[in-house]
Order: sequence, then structure tokens, then C-alpha cells
Amino acid sequence: MEESEDVPKDFIKLKSEKLSVDEVSELVVSPSCGAVSLFIGTTRNNFEGRKVIHLEYEAYSSMAETEIKKICRDVRQKWPSVKHIAMYHRVGVVPITEASVIIAVSSPHRTESLEAVTYCINTLKASVPIWKKEIYEDEYSWKENKECFWANSEK
Amino acid sequence: QVSVLYFARSAELAGLRSETLSVPREITSLQLWEEIVKVHPRLAVIRDQVVFAVRQEYVLLGDQVLVLQPGDEVAIIPPISGG
Repeated sequence: MEESEDVPKDFIKLKSEKLSVDEVSELVVSPSCGAVSLFIGTTRNNFEGRKVIHLEYEAYSSMAETEIKKICRDVRQKWPSVKHIAMYHRVGVVPITEASVIIAVSSPHRTESLEAVTYCINTLKASVPIWKKEIYEDEYSWKENKECFWANSEK
Repeated sequence: QVSVLYFARSAELAGLRSETLSVPREITSLQLWEEIVKVHPRLAVIRDQVVFAVRQEYVLLGDQVLVLQPGDEVAIIPPISGG
């Protein structure tokens, strides 16, 4: 059996098609790793008592990819044993219960990949230029992450 | 001449997603905002909630002096909600 090159890789994608957990976790699997940690962000059907019909995501694509690359670079500095990182975000319409984001990280032991996945989603919410619009029955609302430092938390 | 990109709520208020604008080469980020609001007055309501991304780096609205090159991308960034 051939040993293929197992250099650490970052897999970053914004796509409008349905995200697949199998596909994303396969990307980070590695013979040298005993752990793959995953985060899946799914769409909820309600917000403050209102029924959410679906979500729509918009992205500043080129900058979003650059910011996600920065997150990967930071992860590798903080957790040098991390092997592969995959961060996939869906854009366009996302129906209820489907995934809007999937993050997968592999590492030899579980602590690093679990911590790295947490860091990835928290930092994504604070720094990656992607916007979510919740569509209700009668209107819509642009959401604001509480991690975003330039949002006003008014209400 | 810079390329101004509008996203999310700012695109709805401005009524478009991108355009070219002529602005001074050196300008503070706040002055740049004011130039843009002259063209799209409806944007004034979100002034306290936006930042810029100039050449894909975040810049707050304020006294920071920007040195702009022709063709630079300046994006209006309302509060983000990825993930």
C-alpha cells in the first residue's frame, strides 16, 4: 500500500449547493490522526416566536475566503498538531434543518481538534464577511452576530 | 476611482451591489463614508453599524487616513452573521 503525502491541508469553500457532512469529514481524515472533530451549523425554524421559512446567506466571497484562511493559519499556530482543516459555508437559500456551515478538523489526539473547531466557529462568527437573512411569513430580518464588534446590541 | 461594493442591508438601502466612485486619493474613512452617503442618502441610517473593508482589511469609520489607488475595492460591511 502506497503512503501518499499527508501534508496538512486547508479546505475552504463557499457553495450554494447542499453541504454534505460525509464529504467534509472525509476531507480531513488522515492516517496519522486519531481524532476528527466536527461542527455543523443548522437552520432553526423559529426566532423569538416567529416562524422562519428559510434562511438566505450572502457573502463577500473573496474576502470571506481570505478571512477563513487567516483562521486556519491561526489554528495551526495555536494547535500545531492539527492536521487538516475544512471550513465549508453555504451561500444562497438554505432550507430549515439543512446545514449552513460545516467545520471539520483532524489531529492525532482529540483535545486539539475539539478546541480548534470551537475556535473556528467562534472566530468565523466574529470576522468572516457573510450575512444571514431570516425569512419569516410576512417579512425578513438581517441577523447580527453578537460576536460582531461593530453591531449595536440595541433591542 | 474606486470600486464600492454594497452588501446585505447596505445593498438594499443603496439599491445596488457595486459601482465606481471618484474620491480623493487620501481621505479619512469617515470622509469616505460621507462621500458615499451623498450619492446614497438612505445609507445614513446605518452609519453607526457599519465598517469598511478597504482592500479586504476592515477599517472603522473615523479619522484613519486611507491612501487609495485606482481600482481599489472598498466594501460597506454591515454587522456580519455567518455561521
